[in-house]
Amino acid sequence: MTTDSVSTGDDPHRLLADVRDLTGRVRRDQRLTWVALLVLAAVTLVAIPFDWFFLKLDCDDSGCVFARRGMLYYWPPALLLAYAAIAVSYVRAARERGLGARVLPYAITGAVTAVLFTAAYTAAAAYFPSNPPFDGGPMPFWWIVLDRLIAPWGLIGLALLVLSHLERNVPLLVFTLAYLVLVLLVLPTTEGMSAPAWVSGTNAQIRLSMALPQLIVGVVLLAGGIGFARARRSSSPAGGRSA
Amino acid sequence: MPDGHPVTGLDEVVHQRVRLGILAIAHEARRVEFGYLRTQLDLTAGNLSKHLSVLETAGLIDIEKGYEGKRGRTWITLTRDGTTALAEEIGRLKVLIARVETPAEET
Repeated sequence: MTTDSVSTGDDPHRLLADVRDLTGRVRRDQRLTWVALLVLAAVTLVAIPFDWFFLKLDCDDSGCVFARRGMLYYWPPALLLAYAAIAVSYVRAARERGLGARVLPYAITGAVTAVLFTAAYTAAAAYFPSNPPFDGGPMPFWWIVLDRLIAPWGLIGLALLVLSHLERNVPLLVFTLAYLVLVLLVLPTTEGMSAPAWVSGTNAQIRLSMALPQLIVGVVLLAGGIGFARARRSSSPAGGRSA
Repeated sequence: MPDGHPVTGLDEVVHQRVRLGILAIAHEARRVEFGYLRTQLDLTAGNLSKHLSVLETAGLIDIEKGYEGKRGRTWITLTRDGTTALAEEIGRLKVLIARVETPAEET
């Protein structure tokens, strides 16, 4: 151990490099990325039965009309609880390591997204049945992307972007960008995807078509959480600090 | 020494590797525990205490002592002056580096 200080005439390059190195270490030690992703994965997977059982479905000869009531019942409180749990976990882990936490802006962003989703969903449910967008015709892709963005899975991605910025966490940023591409451009999270042909009955097919994208999103978040947890363990055998 | 040279503005309290490290960690961490600083800066408890005392006397940090269960813990937070001093020191270091790396214009 060093027993005396270094002279005041230190090389500016070295001093600045030391500052960058130390701040980088603090940021890595404050991270608990895997916990955030696992909590969000759990919330996403638990949502599936809510969506399944509270899906209001009316079918006749002309087709089916459905309303995903479970989303409104489940997601606002679930998101608030999830972000509160993540914030508490971050603060406790940082405190155990002898540090303060920098998770509050993320938790606030998460709470704001929960409110935003509730407001958007309620407004859409009240307005669009009597005023269908684009006169009930085909919707442009930008509209579909916007719809997916303000759905819970898109909002989770936005909050993760904030977290990656707070933590200066490049691996999380890469993961989040890939996640956002998946939930905004690839997965039909709000429209539902084709159910397998072996599923019989319109009722079951529609419910399954809504469940499948959520299952994929949940598995992706789960895999991300496991990946970050493993990376943390492998990079810091003495206690795991970097992921 | 030319007038306005960044070295003339160096703060002896802050322009020191360990103390600059303490300020940088405390700034990034919001608050930091004595043991974490000791580990990261690779210092003895006595030596770290001396540096903390210098910074506290200069009004750059606050030191809060308490207990968690039976375990004593000492938490360090940056004061507003400490935040300013850290930002100024980093700014001066960057100016120094810039001047060293452009010698032709200076001579």
